[in-house]
Amino acid sequence: MKILTISIALAALVVGGAAVAGDSPAAKNAYLYIGWPNNGEVIRKNNFRVWFGMRKMGVAPAGVEKPMTGHHHLIIDAPLPPMDEEIPSDKNHVHFGKGQTETRITLPSGTHTLQLLLGDHNHVPHNPPVMSQKITVTVK
Amino acid sequence: MNRHIIVATLLAALIPGLAAAGDSPSPDNAKVYFIWPKDGTTIKGGKAWVRFGLRNMGVAPAGIDKKFTGHHHLIIDGDLPPFDEEIPADKHHVHYGKGYSEGRVVLPPGTHTLQLLFADQNHVPHDPPVFSKKITVYVPAN
Repeated sequence: MKILTISIALAALVVGGAAVAGDSPAAKNAYLYIGWPNNGEVIRKNNFRVWFGMRKMGVAPAGVEKPMTGHHHLIIDAPLPPMDEEIPSDKNHVHFGKGQTETRITLPSGTHTLQLLLGDHNHVPHNPPVMSQKITVTVK
Repeated sequence: MNRHIIVATLLAALIPGLAAAGDSPSPDNAKVYFIWPKDGTTIKGGKAWVRFGLRNMGVAPAGIDKKFTGHHHLIIDGDLPPFDEEIPADKHHVHYGKGYSEGRVVLPPGTHTLQLLFADQNHVPHDPPVFSKKITVYVPAN
């Protein structure tokens, strides 16, 4: 019984994994990262710049359908959203649909997480999804 | 007579300045710069990812007509080209028309200059043109 339960759970995971992605293909070796701040950075002001690093794929504004391009989304203090639908747009999911490659954000003092997720012309993640490492920063 | 020559010279200097820009507007606070390398950086081995910084404008692939966007061009060991025509594409003027925000360079040993020039969907610089400071990097002999 236990084994059956585990098997079902695993199958659900595998099937779920296969389904969760958008329609736009990503470059196989695409690399998305937060250039600054670094993971673990202690930042001594509430307002700071974040720059977005990307290799092997290009930036295009939202609405522009071009293979191997997308636009940046910065996820602040939140887990990754579903990978097969439009990335939400709220204070935890900031869209850079004008093709920006850096931003300035204001965060209250404390510990915060930041993660980048590339979205296609429709704000849906690629297949496979292109995301950065989730980093933690402390704002003092 | 002397005065006429001075006026003519001034006019000649001014007119190309006024004409030398493309048709796509750039915002006043647009800025393109090198995130890395910095001016004076020594790059061992000469291979590096050059990271392009851009503020108050966006990146779009070549051919995409969208206000306040453009794509990066890296000028290696060269001077700024004319601003009112397409940026040349050769080993001194590398185009990033796919919308890249960084570029891999391989530089031979010696002193090199790098400069970024942003341009519109037709590879023509904006009005006013948006370009970085020209920086110098060093690649030591092996």
